[in-house]
Amino acid sequence: MTVTAASVSSRRIGGRAVAGAFGVCAVLAAVAASTLTAQDAVPGIPMPGVVVTYGLPIVRVLLDVAAVAVVGLSLLPKLLGFDDPERTEPVMLRVRPLAVTAAWAWAICALLTIVFQTAELNPGSVPTFGMIAAYVDDVGTGQGLLFSAACALAAAGIGLMAVRFGEKVPAELRIIVALFGLLPIPVTGHAVDSVWHDPIMISMEIHVMGAAAWTGGLVALAAFVAPHRDLLAVALPKFSRIATVCLLLVGLSGLITGLSTMALTPGVTLPDAIVTSPYGQLVVVKTALVALLVPLAAHIRFRLLPAIRQRRATALVGWAVAEVSVMGLAYGVAVAITRSSIV
Amino acid sequence: MRRLLTVLLLACATVGLAHTPAQAHNVLIGSDPKDGATLTASPERVTLVFDQLVRQGYAQVGVTGADGSAWADGAAEVAAERVSVKVKPLPAGGTYVVGYRILSADGHPVTGKITFSLAPDASGVSTDTTSAAAGSSGAANSGAANSGAVSSGAVSSGAAAEAAANGGAGMAVVWIVGALLLLAAGTAVALRRSSSPVVEGSPAVEGERTGA
Repeated sequence: MTVTAASVSSRRIGGRAVAGAFGVCAVLAAVAASTLTAQDAVPGIPMPGVVVTYGLPIVRVLLDVAAVAVVGLSLLPKLLGFDDPERTEPVMLRVRPLAVTAAWAWAICALLTIVFQTAELNPGSVPTFGMIAAYVDDVGTGQGLLFSAACALAAAGIGLMAVRFGEKVPAELRIIVALFGLLPIPVTGHAVDSVWHDPIMISMEIHVMGAAAWTGGLVALAAFVAPHRDLLAVALPKFSRIATVCLLLVGLSGLITGLSTMALTPGVTLPDAIVTSPYGQLVVVKTALVALLVPLAAHIRFRLLPAIRQRRATALVGWAVAEVSVMGLAYGVAVAITRSSIV
Repeated sequence: MRRLLTVLLLACATVGLAHTPAQAHNVLIGSDPKDGATLTASPERVTLVFDQLVRQGYAQVGVTGADGSAWADGAAEVAAERVSVKVKPLPAGGTYVVGYRILSADGHPVTGKITFSLAPDASGVSTDTTSAAAGSSGAANSGAANSGAVSSGAVSSGAAAEAAANGGAGMAVVWIVGALLLLAAGTAVALRRSSSPVVEGSPAVEGERTGA
């Protein structure tokens, strides 16, 4: 590494731009989409206050952002490889503590989401511990979030061991624990009462994991590896293969889940519902965002990657910021879609 | 990497299958009185019918007049997929909005409303509350008594079915403890393996690790 201090610091700003763009886009899209598709107030029924209507989507999307960060940072050692510790260790020394912090943020956001969802169901009162316990006891969403928080804490614990013992803690273990914590997330979304329930659930699991690996991997690479051309020449081709698979999986599973959920809900007539129901409109928005990702991803894959393989300077960070922003928007819309009315 | 994917797919399958109980998004499929209906008598109670079980404890139903006055009498009662609320005798010739907010089986609050109106010459009540109320509810009373008996039975069976479907918080604790034990065991094995004196990060070690 013969990079001067000044250029490294300027490149780190690029890295922060990638992470910041993702987070800001996700929060903005979550608030906007949730507000636009909010269920109308009906006369005679108390509705939750402003803190809950805006707080819940924000906390929920921060959960996603933190989970994506954990998955991405956990994938990084696998992408960098273990053959060249002299080059990878300086990067990993910065990445490992961050993974622990992100895992803690994930756990805290999951617990906060439980509190906010309890408040949403009991409008007009500050949730007490008893109300929260009753919510977790009654509702599968609460149990799912609790499980997710537990997995996040486990990821934090294993991450701490990785900080202490380095790559002796297997990278696969960290990846699996992080992805395990994502498993209950689809339970917080819509479900259908049909024999197709299980296939749709599995399709949603694939969707959530594929999106997290794709987004997290790209953010982690652009933020931490982009300044080191030698490492990037090794890591990006590996990630590119994963990303291609993820793009196909995410797009396909998303369409299957969205359309079949609408088709199997009574009182919904396809194709009209795609444009008339809030759920259908959000499915259209997400499909458009994924379609927008294809040219961005293709540019990195086919135009930039050959140059990166030859260790030449490229505008990777700029393109990554663009791609990651679109991904952030899609994550924000995803938060609204899990809560919007299907009919 | 292939091994990792296999593990993931298996985990997916287990979790997907573990949630077999149908927990879907509730949709209003019917009501009594019907949406937009014009009634000739003040209804005894308003009943909303959903496509599947409504969760106990969080349902709210309000009956509101055009001037914002509230006419629901007491709290909403949940009986399986039916949610109903008693209604005070309504003045004739008004339009009423039945607003509801229930907790869907998949854990989302679902809100909505239906409207109905009372014909101007309805046998309900406009000024002399007592006599007309007794008259109108007399006919409905026998039916209401019947449905009341049915609904109390349905309440308890509905609650039991719901508890069985969820597994309760006890199930969640079992899940969490099981997962944590699995993680702890995995970490312990991983650390013991890596403490053996081999060069860190060599391809051979990597292969051995993935082989775990």
